[in-house]
Amino acid sequence: MIEFQDVTFVHQNGVKALDGVTLKIESGETVALVGENGAGKTTLVKHVTGLLKPASGRVLVDGQDTKATSTARLSRKVGVAFQNPDHQLFSESVEEEMSFALRNFGFPPEVVRNRVAWGLELFGLEEYRKSSPLVLSGGEKKRLTLACILAWDPDVVILDEPTVGQDSLQKERLAGTIKLLKSAEKTVVVVSHDIEFLWPIQPRVVVMKAGKVVGDGPAPRIMQDEALLASARVAQPQLVEFHRSLSSKPLEPFADALEARRWVEGAFRP
Amino acid sequence: MKLTNILDIEGLTFRYPEAPKEAVSHFDLHVPEGEIVVLAGPSGCGKSTLLRTVNGLIPHMYSGDYSGEVKVAGASVKGTDMRDLSQRVGFLFQNPENQIFMFTVERDVAFGLENIGVPREEMRGRVDEALRLLGIASLAQRAPHELSDGQKQRVALAGVLAMRPRLVILDEPTSLLDPKTAGDLVALVAGLRKELGTTFVVVEHRIDLLVKVADRLVVMSEGKKVLEGTPRDVLFGEEAESYGVATPSVTKLQKMLAHDGLATGGALLSPAELARELEERQR
Amino acid sequence: MMWLSGGFVFRRGDSVYHRLDPRVKLLISALMFVTTLLVRSVYELLIVIAFMVAVAAVATVLRRVGRTMALTASFSAIIFLINLAFTRNLESSFLYAIRFVAIVVSTSLFFITTSPDELEQVMKTFRLPRDVVFAFVTAVRFIPVMMLDTIQIMDAQKSRGLELEKGNVFRRVRNMIPVLIPLVVNSVVRSGELAEAMESRAYGAVPRPTSLVQYRASFRDRAVAVAAVAIFAVAAYSFYYVLPVQFP
Ligand SMILES: Nc1ncnc2c1ncn2[C@@H]1O[C@H](COP(=O)(O)OP(=O)(O)OP(=O)(O)O)[C@@H](O)[C@H]1O
Ligand SMILES: Nc1ncnc2c1ncn2[C@@H]1O[C@H](COP(=O)(O)OP(=O)(O)OP(=O)(O)O)[C@@H](O)[C@H]1O
Ligand SMILES: [Mg+2]
Ligand SMILES: [Mg+2]
Repeated sequence: MIEFQDVTFVHQNGVKALDGVTLKIESGETVALVGENGAGKTTLVKHVTGLLKPASGRVLVDGQDTKATSTARLSRKVGVAFQNPDHQLFSESVEEEMSFALRNFGFPPEVVRNRVAWGLELFGLEEYRKSSPLVLSGGEKKRLTLACILAWDPDVVILDEPTVGQDSLQKERLAGTIKLLKSAEKTVVVVSHDIEFLWPIQPRVVVMKAGKVVGDGPAPRIMQDEALLASARVAQPQLVEFHRSLSSKPLEPFADALEARRWVEGAFRP
Repeated sequence: MKLTNILDIEGLTFRYPEAPKEAVSHFDLHVPEGEIVVLAGPSGCGKSTLLRTVNGLIPHMYSGDYSGEVKVAGASVKGTDMRDLSQRVGFLFQNPENQIFMFTVERDVAFGLENIGVPREEMRGRVDEALRLLGIASLAQRAPHELSDGQKQRVALAGVLAMRPRLVILDEPTSLLDPKTAGDLVALVAGLRKELGTTFVVVEHRIDLLVKVADRLVVMSEGKKVLEGTPRDVLFGEEAESYGVATPSVTKLQKMLAHDGLATGGALLSPAELARELEERQR
Repeated sequence: MMWLSGGFVFRRGDSVYHRLDPRVKLLISALMFVTTLLVRSVYELLIVIAFMVAVAAVATVLRRVGRTMALTASFSAIIFLINLAFTRNLESSFLYAIRFVAIVVSTSLFFITTSPDELEQVMKTFRLPRDVVFAFVTAVRFIPVMMLDTIQIMDAQKSRGLELEKGNVFRRVRNMIPVLIPLVVNSVVRSGELAEAMESRAYGAVPRPTSLVQYRASFRDRAVAVAAVAIFAVAAYSFYYVLPVQFP
């Protein structure tokens, strides 16, 4: 469980990036963190593993204060994949890259081997096993960083903008992986501007604006709250907009196009 | 009468030195002046490479095997100096940070004009005009690195437009922007096309942002052009999704409903338009 | 790192001093620098430092300069000890140590109040080749960006269980590899992208590029320059002939 208690954080340049954030994420939850550029999402994420420590307030991970422990310890529990893959790839081969964290966390060699093989397969990177991570395309690099995190099987997985540079097939695969993690009862936090990607996952949605949490609730409720979305500059999913525009409609908006089609078939078939 | 083309690509093939295969292969594209063309395709299919051949970075800055022809307003890119090309073709890159050089917004916008030796009085006018077009006149004296990503991207675009290019190419200009800011940039592109008649070629993964303003959608795969047509034709076709082109969810729905005979497939509809059409048809 | 960013990276300010012609600011810093080399006693040096502090106050950067002085003082302590070990002369060792602080402050005053655009202007008046000027200005502009990169890289690697502060010296150096490689790769990528963007905006198209703004020294700039030279002359004269106070 992750708990933010009235957390405030000010960057060196005086920007107040978190301003009294109180937030509780239970284990097993899937949470989407949304908000405009500069809302404070990445800053919030960095607090979970103690990369940043609150100026005031507390951050607790499984009851432990992040101030009282190390990032290495917390990272064993909470895996964070950051926005820019070029900020972490450094090994001679993809395989090495994936085993880096596993070795840091002291896994025995045969476990390392198995986990690497598993991750490469899951993300379709087997053919690059021996290649340098630096020659991969932008999309492949991004997938490799996700594979690196999942390899050590953390209880909590945090993905910062995982869809940047991905085409729709890769995005679908990624959504599949998130659903898989959900069914394995992992806690997943996805930071993303890509509302169309988030919507079918139907996560709990936390909306941030200027360092504050301004909205928090199940996807259908948040995504139908137009005043909230407008003030936080978050886009509305197309299917929610479609649902809103219908004069007679079902209670809940459609989670995907197929669901919408089924309903329209029933309602409009002469 | 046929409009003259601002861009003609014919049989273009390019391979980076020592690359196992061609990054762009036998590519043809003809763009009439004033169009907005969107280029899509999976990551690594050669989109950025193609754009580099349009403003001359390839072959002038990159070596490699180059064959075929690229012409901007009738002049061969290969035979034209990079310096002349940069006045005809503007290039907006993905990362705003790496295309801003100066320490105040107005000086950065002036960067290209200084480089080509525009006299000071004329330069002042062109810089002010570009700032006004992008709605950033109030930022003129600010330091670009203190601005938000969306504002930075506007500054970079102002610098490109100050050169008065007839053709502007944009390589994933919105990928770091939130959807509202990205939407603003797209609206700006549409406005500039209308106001100045500028032609735009845009590489973009988020097709939903652009379907409303694009005249043409071109899909690339493994260096080749595989689909071309109006956004409606390409997205309604069977193949687009297999090439990883993200069909907006409401378009997906419209497509299925059209297939079932419940909606028309004549033009791409926005969510509200689709809802209205369904209800009007029922009456 | 903090020393570098605090002491030498320009931050926008809007004091009278910031608005001076950059060449005048350079002149003032250069004169202060030279004066620190001229002085022969700690006492004189303290007068020069007091003057620098006054300039810093006018430029409203007193806090930053204070921090720079404090950080520099720790290097200075080393200089002091080394000097003392070799020369066994308390006063001269002390003089060297403080002189180092003074030199850093005089240089720092110029850099923290002069924007890269102004730096470019200064370099142009010295008729340095444009490529050199541009490379320098770009480097200055990218210092803060690179520092941000470094933080982000360290954060990403720590999140993968890297412990930078663990082990003996050799181990620690080895631990830096996962940080250094991405840093270098990023810089290379960045410079590639910059080069493309420069080419795309006609860099080098004509041998004599024009300039949007023209810095012209105002009456005030000239007056300040004259005053600076006068103060320097008085200081140099008095340090040589009037003041040489010796330690007992
Ligand atoms: N290392 C830093 N130093 C100084 N200011 C920072 C730093 N990192 C972020 N900021 C500032 O803190 C605020 C919040 O930034 P943050 O990166 O958390 O936003 P975000 O919601 O992740 O935005 P984006 O969607 O653009 O990634 C912004 O105003 C930003 O400029
Ligand atoms: N400078 C370069 N040198 C050698 N090969 C390159 C270079 N740039 C790109 N390539 C290769 O050329 C191919 C096409 O790359 P390109 O960058 O044009 O793709 P893209 O469609 O823009 O992809 P993305 O959507 O990820 O930006 C890829 O296989 C890539 O690895
Ligand atoms: Mg972020
Ligand atoms: Mg590209």
